[in-house]
Amino acid sequence: MLYINCPHCGMRSQNEFSYGGDASVKRPDLNKEIPDKEWDDFVYNRKSLRGKHLELWQHISGCRQWIKVERDTATHEIFRTFKADEEFA
Amino acid sequence: MQKYSIFNLVKNAFSNHENWDLAWKDPTPKEEYDVVIIGGGGHGLATAYYLAKEHNITNVAIIEKGWIGGGNVGRNTTIIRSNYMHDENGLFSEFGMDLWRKMSQDLNYNVMFSPRGIINLAHSDAQMNAYARRGNSMRLNGIDAVLLNREQVKEIIPMADFSENVRFPIFGGLMQPSAGTARHDAVAWGYARQADSMGVDIIQNCEVIGFDVSAGKIKGIRTSRGNIKANKVGICVAGSTNILAEKLNMTLPIETHLLQACVSEPIKPVLDNVVTFGAGHFYVSQSDKGEMVMGGDLDGYNSYAQRGNLPTLQHVLTEGIAMMPFLSKLKMLRTWGGIMDMSMDGSPIIDKTHIEGLYLNCGWCYGGFKATPASGWTFAHTIAQDRVHELNAGYSLNRFSTGHLIDEKGLGTKTWIS
Amino acid sequence: MTQAFRIENIGLINRDKKLSFKFNGKNYFGYEGDTLASALLANGVHLVGRSFKYHRPRGFFGAGVDEPYAVVQLYRNGETEPNIKATEQELFEGLEAKSVNCWPSVNFDIGAINNFLKIFLPAGFYYKTFMWPKSFWYRIYEPFIRKAAGLGVASTKHDKERYEHKYEYCDLLIAGSGPSGLASAYAAAKNGAKVILAEDKPRFGGSLLTCDVNIGNQSGKDWADGIITELKTMPNVLVKNRSQIFGYYDHNMLVMSEKVSDHLPATKKYHPNKRLWYIRAKEVLISSGSIERPIVFGNNDTPGVMLSSAAREYLKVFGVLVGRRPLVFTNNDSGYETAIEFKKNGVEPIILDSRKNPKSEIIDEAKNLGINIKNSYVVVAAQGYKKVKSADIASISEDKKQLGKIENLQCDCICVSGFWTPTIHLASQSGNKTKFKEEIDAFVPGQSKQNEITLGAANGVFSLDETLKTSFKAGSELSKKITKKDNEVAIPNVVEKKSSQHDKFWCVPLPKGKNYKRFLDFQNDVAVSDVEIALREGYRSIEHVKRYTTLGMATDQGKTSNLNGLQLVSEIENKIVPAVGHTTFRPPYTPVSIGAIVGREVGKHSKPTRKSPMHKWHEKNHAVFVDAGVWLRPRYYKRGHENLFEASKREAKNVRTNVGVCDVTTLGKIDVKGPDAAELLNRVYTNAWLKLPVGKARYGVMLREDGIVMDDGTTTRISENHYHMTTTTAQAANVLSHLEYYLQLVWPELNVNVVSTTEQWAGAAIAGPKSRELLQKLFPSLDVSNDGLPFMGYIEGDLFGIKSRIFRISFSGELAYEVNVESDYGNFMWEKIMEVGEEFKIQPYGTEALSTLRIEMGHVAGSELDGRTIPYDNALEGLVSKKKDFIGKRSLQRSAFIEENRQRIVGVVPLDKQTSIPEGSHLVKDDKAKLPNPKLGHISASCWSVEYDNPFSLAILKNGKNMIGQKLFAMSPLKNKVIPVEIVSSHYVDPKGERVRS
Repeated sequence: MLYINCPHCGMRSQNEFSYGGDASVKRPDLNKEIPDKEWDDFVYNRKSLRGKHLELWQHISGCRQWIKVERDTATHEIFRTFKADEEFA
Repeated sequence: MQKYSIFNLVKNAFSNHENWDLAWKDPTPKEEYDVVIIGGGGHGLATAYYLAKEHNITNVAIIEKGWIGGGNVGRNTTIIRSNYMHDENGLFSEFGMDLWRKMSQDLNYNVMFSPRGIINLAHSDAQMNAYARRGNSMRLNGIDAVLLNREQVKEIIPMADFSENVRFPIFGGLMQPSAGTARHDAVAWGYARQADSMGVDIIQNCEVIGFDVSAGKIKGIRTSRGNIKANKVGICVAGSTNILAEKLNMTLPIETHLLQACVSEPIKPVLDNVVTFGAGHFYVSQSDKGEMVMGGDLDGYNSYAQRGNLPTLQHVLTEGIAMMPFLSKLKMLRTWGGIMDMSMDGSPIIDKTHIEGLYLNCGWCYGGFKATPASGWTFAHTIAQDRVHELNAGYSLNRFSTGHLIDEKGLGTKTWIS
Repeated sequence: MTQAFRIENIGLINRDKKLSFKFNGKNYFGYEGDTLASALLANGVHLVGRSFKYHRPRGFFGAGVDEPYAVVQLYRNGETEPNIKATEQELFEGLEAKSVNCWPSVNFDIGAINNFLKIFLPAGFYYKTFMWPKSFWYRIYEPFIRKAAGLGVASTKHDKERYEHKYEYCDLLIAGSGPSGLASAYAAAKNGAKVILAEDKPRFGGSLLTCDVNIGNQSGKDWADGIITELKTMPNVLVKNRSQIFGYYDHNMLVMSEKVSDHLPATKKYHPNKRLWYIRAKEVLISSGSIERPIVFGNNDTPGVMLSSAAREYLKVFGVLVGRRPLVFTNNDSGYETAIEFKKNGVEPIILDSRKNPKSEIIDEAKNLGINIKNSYVVVAAQGYKKVKSADIASISEDKKQLGKIENLQCDCICVSGFWTPTIHLASQSGNKTKFKEEIDAFVPGQSKQNEITLGAANGVFSLDETLKTSFKAGSELSKKITKKDNEVAIPNVVEKKSSQHDKFWCVPLPKGKNYKRFLDFQNDVAVSDVEIALREGYRSIEHVKRYTTLGMATDQGKTSNLNGLQLVSEIENKIVPAVGHTTFRPPYTPVSIGAIVGREVGKHSKPTRKSPMHKWHEKNHAVFVDAGVWLRPRYYKRGHENLFEASKREAKNVRTNVGVCDVTTLGKIDVKGPDAAELLNRVYTNAWLKLPVGKARYGVMLREDGIVMDDGTTTRISENHYHMTTTTAQAANVLSHLEYYLQLVWPELNVNVVSTTEQWAGAAIAGPKSRELLQKLFPSLDVSNDGLPFMGYIEGDLFGIKSRIFRISFSGELAYEVNVESDYGNFMWEKIMEVGEEFKIQPYGTEALSTLRIEMGHVAGSELDGRTIPYDNALEGLVSKKKDFIGKRSLQRSAFIEENRQRIVGVVPLDKQTSIPEGSHLVKDDKAKLPNPKLGHISASCWSVEYDNPFSLAILKNGKNMIGQKLFAMSPLKNKVIPVEIVSSHYVDPKGERVRS
């Protein structure tokens, strides 16, 4: 079971969290013309690569904060975690 | 090619089984092929077989990174069914059921297709209605389906929980009597043996490093064992699709996820059918060896690791015991994990791509095994004719742009929720 | 009654406590501290089972978890359990066991006919036959094979045992209590680290229990006892026996299964049968030891052939002789240690050593004791069917290819030692890439992947002195890192006999003209010839070999067979062993009870049950409940002998004519607060929210980004910056997460807070033409007139002293209100409503009546919002703002979503106005069309219209907009129904919505 460092609460086991997918996907701005391709990339298309993956988790049974996690999809190793408003360096 | 039969088995017994032919050879790759199939899993092997058999295209190579049949065809729970609500899935799968029924004879390899029937249990009237919608759709598509009430279910699987001490009582179930199981490895091996005998080169331990594309056309592939030219290349690597797509600068409506399964120790026959739980995600059947074969939810995060964590299995087995309490007394013998192409509507993609001569077969989620023959058949057709067959027309890549989605579960793009 | 093979003055069993037990119907006795295996052997019972495929007689091969064949059916306290390893099952008073996979008995087993047919049944034979005629596989062959396969018999009764879970955190987790485990645990404990030491056997000490060594001037066993005793007194140490760490998972999470009650005749009251421990460790020390591996020879599966280490364990731990004329067949010095123990206990062993001229202290000792040693000798084949009677032996050439003349040697057991295989399962599970160690012909852990290190024999180190030194050091250093303490622990002196190099020899060649089965995998009957066939046919990857032959796939998971299989493959393929590679080690190390994995979440507790504060009242008033997710809701209130249909019709009718009350507590409720709350709603819902005044409610629909309807509900502006959102019961949690996602990640600039208030409020919907009169009586001081509280209005009131929220909203389509009070007052509110409502003929109504009411009105619910429909499909496009942007709006432009003949909700009425249309039916143009018959849509919900007293259904129909008035067929082949129907508007009752505004 993954052991995730919630930036708000500390180390917590994965069963307190729910997964939220690729964190690198950015929602296009509201009230803007969005080309089909850009919208499809946002809604559907994912890189989902082997190796480092930036992803979202929500500490749903804890502080309910969405956090960002940098994790290896091949080994499950977690490198870093961030608050929602922190950017990956 | 030697024919497999009881006669030949007896004959060979008297020569100590020393005269059996190779099931498939181990050739070195040629410089050029008419068609290269990337991925020596069930779908890739089936595609090569049907290219040779149905389209007379035999100058074909299957390129496999590891050993054939080592991906999901070798690590699934062997369930074969066509109990789908949507026409695209139902008609495609039912076409596949026909291929399953004659596969052992067709391949001269006993794949042990066993139409033992699948029962989806329902735990409320609302669920019965949802199953009725699916079952009626199946029947109108010419697929067998029966709606069972509680008593009928009890007659078939009395070991399910019909007691008072149950959280979600069984109301009934939807049964597809012709669904069943097969011996998964045998499917890969049977296709490999026949494809090989018709001239297909099965090349193992050969990893694809890149693609040669020029002027929008595929020209060949680069591999760990050298470059191979081909004007037609089919990608058939569910679980690793995104890794190859990246080499082509494509992003696909697919995420790679991890699914675990497990078996119990072998016991004497107790369950004839495949049964799924309706108040959660759990399915079980009993293998010919006697092991209870069980699976359920994904681990729930992107993963290429073929290893999962115990809480997921705990969750799955909790539902297992809720459905069939006697499982509690058994022991979990073996667990394993496979990586899935989870598509954004839960249905697969078999299509041409924007690169001429490059074809894509992916997105099988956790339903790839049963689709093996139909996938191979339609993919072979798509490659040979350079156009999709009506059976896989719905499995287009651009359905995500047009909105013609095929979402059996209505869960949308959160692929990790299963 | 005597035990023929039990000897005095040796062993760790409690001879003061006799235990009687039954095996295959016969009574025996043993002692406390015995395993079923040791007790049977003490009684001279060697035949315990039959093999999987050929049904050959099988005895005991090992003395622990590696046991491949002694698998029995156990009976305990009125229950039965299949596939129990006799070598692991501790004896208890009254134990009963039976052999498995044999009929009629283990002594005379019909299935043994397979043994004579074995030349026709090589590896993979079933892939080559059973194909004709086609239907025979499923009908004839497979059922036959299924019956023949399987081991024990599962009880289909509910499991009465209880299983518990425990979560632990520690500094050091140590797997195995042999010398390396004890030393590292001791050193770490002395540094104050929090240590868990786990031992899967009942006794601590591992190899120290059976090896003749001296540590710190005492026997190995006494030293172990001393360490354990001291560890047990330390508050920072948890020492657990009967506890196996079976899995090493991600991020140093290991899982341990503790057998709490299996060694007792019955589980004690309030005790679990097993306890599963999830342990998160900072550091993991793997001291799991090693397992002796066999040498392969002819008929090496005959009962009486066993590992030499097992024979030693039976002798030293249990005081049991596995034979009186033992033959020890070895390629290393371990066999000598066994022979020496035999000799010391008055039995004359003979040693066959494949080596020509080995020299070591141990060998010298054996020679000094006068043990008969034959060098360059091997066992060619065991003779005897149900028990070893003799051995065919021969000298062997140095290249191990040529056998000398075969001689026959009388013996009653053959103790075999082919050197040791480190138990690397946990290390490998952690992600550690193992490496092949040439000196020991086995794999050992490589570079650590997680925080694990492997010590002692598990790491391929077989010298006790070295093991203790490295283990004390490891325990000390790892704990120092954590506790910052450095308490020195003296490393004791070790006296052990030096051993010499083992012989790289693992399989005896077949003598000319002989066709003995030489088994690799004993349970699955995989012989050398099977692997040869697999390779010959091109199944060359080790995974192909495993799958084709089933090598290593039995319940022992190849603990004694995998490495020999690899050696064979490498030899035939002319590859070095590491190039062949091993198959993956996956958890569990040994089979784990499924009950233990699941724990307490069984039966009624398999999922939570949520009840509203009014639940008791519903129960008292004969509510029949329905599961709505994990909530229980009244489906209808049964009066007399009413059925569902009659009761729900009565309840719905009463709403249409008088007034009804429905428990709506389960609806999701979310408080949305902050200056930007309106802006958030405006972005989340498809309709406009910026101008909603305080004291007003609005119905809204929210989409997923892919344009599909996610949920619907009303949201009310309670005060300037405070909104009360309601969701459907099913989507409550998802909607909250959805809002949090947008607020925290996408639009952090919005100053809004959301929190679930579902549990805070109890809700009652009061619906029907008389609801206003009732409301007025409940809140006499309020103006609830159509002007005072208009449709979609909101006011607060005082319900007999209880603060209440009153919403004028309606799902039933009648004049209706929803009253919310704090949950604790829910039942009070409900009782007041019923009491005051009596004069208006109030009746409670359940979800079934609620369904009827909403269906008649064409209001959509879960069966229409099924994750596949867009607002247009549900006739909700009027709520989709053209002006502003919102979540999912861009997706609504997709071509499939704007097709002219897009599916849309319609009403459906049977032409005969009599026949109810089953939900889940499909609409077709031609009921007689050949299959596949094109489906135009499906019936999403059906009811008996109480307004018109005829059946009415909702359907999602292709081109629904232009189909009104069309005649179609509703077909339910599952129920053999074909019903001619007419398509009508989905708003069947009060299409203009006058009632809700009245």
